[in-house]
Amino acid sequence: MGTEEGGHGKGTKVVSLIERATNSTAPEVDPRLLKAIKTVVRYSDSELRVATLTLMDLMKRDHSQVRYLALLIIDELFMRSKLFRTLVVENLDQLLSLSVGFRRNVALPAPPAVASVLRSKAIEFLEKWNVSFGIHYRQLRLGYDYLKNTLRLQFPNIQANVERVQQERRERERRSKEILLSKYESLKENSSSIKGGILSTMDEIDECLDILQAKQECVSDDILDSDEHGDFHSLELQQLRLEALKEGEKVYENSDNTVVFDTLRELYKLLVAKHLISIQEWISVLIRVEVADNRFRDSILKEFIDIRNRLKSVKSKCEEAGCLLVNSSKHDEEDFWEEGNVVSMETSSSAPNNKNKHLDAHENNNDNLGLHSKGSNGSETDGLLHQGHKVESDPKRSKLIAEAPVVRWGSYLDNWGSNRVFMANQRGLELDSHWGRVDADAVIPADKIAELNVHAMPYEEKKIEIQPCLAPLRKGGLCQRRDMKLCPFHGPIIPRDDKGRPLSHSSLEDMNMDLGTDLVEQIAKQAVKNIRERDQEGAKKREIDKQSLKRAKLAKIREHNEAVLRDAAMASTSRSATLGEDGELTNEDKLSAKEKKQSLASMLRKKVTSKDRIAEKLLSSRARVTSDRQHVSSEDAKYREAFPNQW
Amino acid sequence: MHTHVWKQIRDREGGRVHANHFANSIKSYRTSQLQLANHKDIVSPHKGAINSLQIDSTEGRYLLSAASDASVAVYDVQRSASAASEAAAAFSKHRCLFVVDKQHRQAHKYAVSTAIWYPIDTGLFVTGSYDHHINVWDTNTTQVVVNFKMPGKVHRTAMSNLSTSHMLIAAGTEDVQVRLCDIASGAFAHTLSGHRDGVMTVEWSNSSEWVLVTGGCDGAIRFWDIRRAGCFQVLDQSQTQFGRRPPILKRSTITKPYHSQDSSTKMRGAQKKHANGSGSRQHPIGRVPSKGPMKQRLHPGMLSTQDRATAHYGAVTGLKATEDGMYLLSAGSDSRLRLWDVQSGCDTLVNFETVRLQINKPLQLATTQDSTLVFVPCMRSVKAFDMWSGNTYTILRGHYECVNCCWFNQQDQELYTGGNDRQILIWSPARSIDGEGPAEDQDSWSS
Repeated sequence: MGTEEGGHGKGTKVVSLIERATNSTAPEVDPRLLKAIKTVVRYSDSELRVATLTLMDLMKRDHSQVRYLALLIIDELFMRSKLFRTLVVENLDQLLSLSVGFRRNVALPAPPAVASVLRSKAIEFLEKWNVSFGIHYRQLRLGYDYLKNTLRLQFPNIQANVERVQQERRERERRSKEILLSKYESLKENSSSIKGGILSTMDEIDECLDILQAKQECVSDDILDSDEHGDFHSLELQQLRLEALKEGEKVYENSDNTVVFDTLRELYKLLVAKHLISIQEWISVLIRVEVADNRFRDSILKEFIDIRNRLKSVKSKCEEAGCLLVNSSKHDEEDFWEEGNVVSMETSSSAPNNKNKHLDAHENNNDNLGLHSKGSNGSETDGLLHQGHKVESDPKRSKLIAEAPVVRWGSYLDNWGSNRVFMANQRGLELDSHWGRVDADAVIPADKIAELNVHAMPYEEKKIEIQPCLAPLRKGGLCQRRDMKLCPFHGPIIPRDDKGRPLSHSSLEDMNMDLGTDLVEQIAKQAVKNIRERDQEGAKKREIDKQSLKRAKLAKIREHNEAVLRDAAMASTSRSATLGEDGELTNEDKLSAKEKKQSLASMLRKKVTSKDRIAEKLLSSRARVTSDRQHVSSEDAKYREAFPNQW
Repeated sequence: MHTHVWKQIRDREGGRVHANHFANSIKSYRTSQLQLANHKDIVSPHKGAINSLQIDSTEGRYLLSAASDASVAVYDVQRSASAASEAAAAFSKHRCLFVVDKQHRQAHKYAVSTAIWYPIDTGLFVTGSYDHHINVWDTNTTQVVVNFKMPGKVHRTAMSNLSTSHMLIAAGTEDVQVRLCDIASGAFAHTLSGHRDGVMTVEWSNSSEWVLVTGGCDGAIRFWDIRRAGCFQVLDQSQTQFGRRPPILKRSTITKPYHSQDSSTKMRGAQKKHANGSGSRQHPIGRVPSKGPMKQRLHPGMLSTQDRATAHYGAVTGLKATEDGMYLLSAGSDSRLRLWDVQSGCDTLVNFETVRLQINKPLQLATTQDSTLVFVPCMRSVKAFDMWSGNTYTILRGHYECVNCCWFNQQDQELYTGGNDRQILIWSPARSIDGEGPAEDQDSWSS
């Protein structure tokens, strides 16, 4: 009890924190303020009580944004503090009606966009609260039940969704487990046949290799013999020889053993494409499956791993022996594709290079064309190439190159200088049911093509680097502003040395002389402007003072009125009492957080669109009257003109 | 709380406290602790507003509820039927033992406005409906055993808890006449006329089995002695007294004639005097009729029909007699609650701090056994008032729409409330030990 009494003084801390947190137009509560609120409230129950009251008061505020932020804070505290839960749950129906706005006579207040967010958030929070704390608080269950079953509001159903997803996942896992188990069972039954198949293939491969080896041996023997005669002394030579020998040991396909190689290749293919993969699969199945009896699984897993290792070794043996051929053919294919890749890359990225090569080829035949082309490869990427060419080409050409214009690379260069004619119907478009004459062989003459292909080039301004001002600053360092002629702080820009001293006195003085009259004028203007601004500010301030005075007076009057009213209401109801309090509170708020209030208030204001402005202008009574008058007078004039003798 | 209770128990052990006193103090303590029960839920099968709730008076165990969707249901509030299946849950769900809804062949067609137990046992219950019928049901077979056709919508029915000599259902209907239906004969035993508008509430006196109190839409509260013609008392809101008892003098002059058996003859005598035109004394019941021929034709017992005194502006929506039968609480559509001294017929001028009362439906009030607290449905909340000072003792918030009825279980000190949101809520004394929930409710601050 004692702490509670003492807490009242402290309570203002959390109140001001909450008020600051809710006095914002942001879509979220400032996390630092929120943290501060939490820490304050965590260690003091009295602060928490005060916070609850404040938050409930804020929920009554006539502004959805304030309510929204307050609701966010309420949620934070609700999920954490038990005391806060018990306090909030007492008035849950009020909180819900203020946040969800389900009562017809208590609709959510102004900014409608925020109001809808507030509503959906409140519903979401209620569901969350109900899921986590519903079992402890009958009120939560009641509120949830009422909104869901009586008002039939749409809840996001997060919990149920999560559960459903989990259920689905469990179902999927169960199914995959079943599949694994069935696979395992089938493996149990015919593991021997699988093993048998693989082993037989491996045996065949071994046999093939043996045959090859045997053939080779007789050949290699005489090679070795012949080698014996040569004298290899040095170490390097020794090594070379060894490698050669190794190379020599390799079996090469020839007409004798081609049949064996074919079989070997077949078997190798079978091994790689089927057995290796299947054994990998079985191993993974064995690893993943869960069975009660592990012995069989472990033993078969061991066996399979052994088989896999043997398979791998056999495979490598095959590759050594010469099934590389199969591989190499594959390599060829890959190479082919790679080449294609390279080409495409070249055309895209280093096309000028390519172009250049082409043109060089042409160069010898047609000097004139070559010249054009040289002109075309102006892009600086080719600088190096140029250098290379310059050495061999004649001086006339280099001279021409020096004065040739630089042209950007583009597709139009493909037929630069060509005087080919083009087919008009180049793509062979069939023009059926065309009633006119169709000339299938129509051509576009070369000059027309040239005309069509005239290349436009935008003018590129030469880039000038704007020099920094470099005048010495008072706090050290040089001014880094870049202005064309005049730095607004340090006057005209002049060349300065590294310490900021002007290099040439005379130029500065000249400039000064030049600018002198200007400067005087400017300063005068500035002075006038300054004075005017000051005057205006003064006026504004006075006005604001007046307004605040007026407002204070009005507030006083209102307070007095409220006091009188409260006194007058002898049969005062609890509602009227709270009404009065509410008013007081908002008054205080206004004084405490005036400048921020404006931003909140601005949310309430309707945005004035150009349409509104036009409508205002057009629909104003004056405009209507004048337009009416105009209309009438023009009608009169017409009448008079039509019947000149009748008026 | 515990020290308090333990001390009392020790006192009781030592014989310092009388058994009755001990029980009462425990009960009143529990009553003062009412809050929304978290350990007990009533799962309402109703799809409409709950109009009436009652616990049987024999066992204090079976709750009877009537709803606007023409359904009636009975619950066991002490043992939940599904306890076995939901033993793990932190709260027990009390599903209805049976429900009589529109699927039932003999069910009511329209909203059931009232359902009451037969006071002697739970073998019968009585329902009254807007389809103009009053049905008497056999609880065990859920069949209608007696059926009464009323002239209009039935608002409220009542049976006397004290009666040993009659089995009458008093029925307040849209009709101006109050009818007493005799279950034994299956016919109307009485037709009490006096009200000028429909009768919203009826209530038997708790002190006499013959006295019936009715409140009408005309704002009148009439007392009837069913052995005699006409009503013997009409409460008048302008007759007031300050405090619980009137001054001795006044009482002797005003209320004496209507008490003993012989007083009625005196009254008749006085009435006769009036008829002769020689009476100069102001008669407490009837305003003196000014025209001669009219009053001459009236039966002396019917003279009270001339009394136009009102107890409330607007309709009288709720009546509740205290357990001792000495006082009567009435609620009106003028959002007032009045406590009447039955003996003197005066308003005791207790200012109950009600805000607003529902006006278009009969309200069911409830009092505690010792008549210290009265529970009143005030729109969405139920307020507990101190009976003698009128101060709000506590406000029970839980319903999301207007509350229509409440019933206080004297045995368990639990309050049941039903409202338009189709919920029946249980308000019970705070439970000190309920830590067996699946997950303890705790603070969960981060870090």
